[in-house]
Amino acid sequence: MLKYFASTYKDIILLLRDKAGLAMLFVMPAALIIIMTLLQDSSFKALEERQLPILVRNMDKDTFGIKIVEGLKNSKFFAVTELGNNDSCTIDELKLRVSGGEFQIGVMIHDNATNLLRNNIKYNILQQMSDENDDIFGDEVITLQQSPKIEIFFDPVTKSSFKQSVTSALREFSASVEARIIFNVYSSMFNDLLGMDLQNTGSFSTMVNIDTHYASTNNGILVPNSVQHNVPAWTIFAMFFIVIPLAGNIIKERRSGVYTRIRIAAGSYFPVTMGKVTTYTIIGMLQATSMLLIGVFLLPVMGLPGLIIGDNYLSLIILTISVSLAATGYGVVIGSVATSHEQSSIFGSISVVILAAIGGIWVPVFVMSPTMQQISNISPLNWALSGYYDVFLRNFGIADIMGYVISLIGFFMVCTAIALYYDRIRKET
Amino acid sequence: MEKQTAIQVNGLSKKYKGTDSFAIENVNLEVNVGDIFGLLGPNGAGKTTTLSILCSLLAPSSGDVNIMGYNLKNATHEIKKIIGVVPQEIALYPELTATENLKFFGNMYGLSGNSLSATISRMLKEFGLENKANSRVVTFSGGMKRRLNLIAGLLHSPKILFLDEPTVGVDVQSRQVIIEFLKELNREGTTIIYTSHHMQEAERLCTDIAIIDQGNIIIKGKPSYLLSDFNKCNDLEDIFLEITGRSLRD
Repeated sequence: MLKYFASTYKDIILLLRDKAGLAMLFVMPAALIIIMTLLQDSSFKALEERQLPILVRNMDKDTFGIKIVEGLKNSKFFAVTELGNNDSCTIDELKLRVSGGEFQIGVMIHDNATNLLRNNIKYNILQQMSDENDDIFGDEVITLQQSPKIEIFFDPVTKSSFKQSVTSALREFSASVEARIIFNVYSSMFNDLLGMDLQNTGSFSTMVNIDTHYASTNNGILVPNSVQHNVPAWTIFAMFFIVIPLAGNIIKERRSGVYTRIRIAAGSYFPVTMGKVTTYTIIGMLQATSMLLIGVFLLPVMGLPGLIIGDNYLSLIILTISVSLAATGYGVVIGSVATSHEQSSIFGSISVVILAAIGGIWVPVFVMSPTMQQISNISPLNWALSGYYDVFLRNFGIADIMGYVISLIGFFMVCTAIALYYDRIRKET
Repeated sequence: MEKQTAIQVNGLSKKYKGTDSFAIENVNLEVNVGDIFGLLGPNGAGKTTTLSILCSLLAPSSGDVNIMGYNLKNATHEIKKIIGVVPQEIALYPELTATENLKFFGNMYGLSGNSLSATISRMLKEFGLENKANSRVVTFSGGMKRRLNLIAGLLHSPKILFLDEPTVGVDVQSRQVIIEFLKELNREGTTIIYTSHHMQEAERLCTDIAIIDQGNIIIKGKPSYLLSDFNKCNDLEDIFLEITGRSLRD
């Protein structure tokens, strides 16, 4: 134990004396979390909160056109600029203003759209009537006309998800207006035929209420947002980046002759390895603590939602220790297998980026293809992230996250075993 | 009185993985307790490989090594307890102070407490480093680092001390301190195995030498006997050049 404690103490002293290195271990991840959360928050808002600038030219000037424009204006998704009657904006001009980036979407409601709609509704009613009732609309000659047209122009850089949401919104508005016009036509028909005066009231768009909820057992108000994803995700990423200084430390020790001396003095490198694991696990824990505190306290100051960490603190601590152990284990194995600092830093950083990518740190696993979702299961960063999701979003206890904890500790043990094996076979070669 | 054998090496060979030739081949050595044994040779001759095997840092391809009666194959733990090693590199942590370094390596040998502190103070004083006890090694001169490097291998009072080029890159004064200390240590009973390029130093210090070249021991014996055998040579350096040649080595 003396060797283990001496090694831990030595590594702590060395880290404390390397002020710049220590600062990097905390400042860089903090900057990463803040920047990534801010970046991803804006794209989150792009879909949910940010209003899309939309240019509308309503040439109809009747019920259909007016109601569509009203619907767009009342929607929280769009910032509507409507061209007035005096603006002689043609389709080409509208396209030009959208393609130039002035607006992301342009909507052209064509002339006479309401009349065409009314006519076609009447035509459809007449088709359902028997021949003796073909005069219910008086002497009016009703033939099938072309469908009223709305044209939508998108900025070429617009994401397909935006296109989908805009198209869906317009379909919803036009369906509502169609329903109102159908009602009006029937209303006037009943009036003419039966002398009944129907009141034109009621809603045509909100007949069915669709309430959305997040399926969380947490009693608090918990909304998955960019902070809830990014803070744990980039915390894990930063914790795994400890492989670079740790592997570098091991290689430096091996190449300096200190390793030789330790191997002879201590009989084995194991207590020294464990000393390093302890020191760097503590660093990982401190990193995680500082990152989570940033999520809870600093991000709200910057206008972002605060991180909600749930109330299962013991689960959080055990999970964080496991993640930190997994990260240090990975650093130990890279430091043991790599033969140069260059090798360890290049392989270490790229492999962590790859494990992060497939582990759902950058893109959540559920949006990946089924094959990639299967592959993501091999990444320890995925186990860590899933564990944090369970603790934060699902308020899971220790028993519920034990699978992830065991996997992470198992990963640490396998890495350490490989490192010690390499240490042994190095003697043989 | 017949001297006790400290190190017995028989048919020692080492071929590194992925290489065709032997780094050392069929090396036979015998070092007695109380000897200062110099293993001399040009660069790449096999000195460090031999030393690494004797220190159990490297497994031999073949051959047999016994150190103080312990066989290297099955008693490395016991051997490590009785040997001290001073590597060629400055095997110290530059950001730790002299005392912190020595305490750490003392702890690695299982030493602790007041006895370790007393040993550290005594040795720092002996090597003229007492005023630098709490200074970081990074601030030390090359000679000071070499002296501290030596102390770190002696903390546990080893019976056999292996030194790989202990005076390389140091000034005359530091070299003098180191050599005198090694002599004193030897007088107290420590067997010393030492590699060097400095023939004059080896001549002054060693009771026995072996010259190794291209993995083979070419000659061994007491310096005085070798000088008498090579009567055309004035000193060990002449003998060294005579038997290893003047061609440049890698």
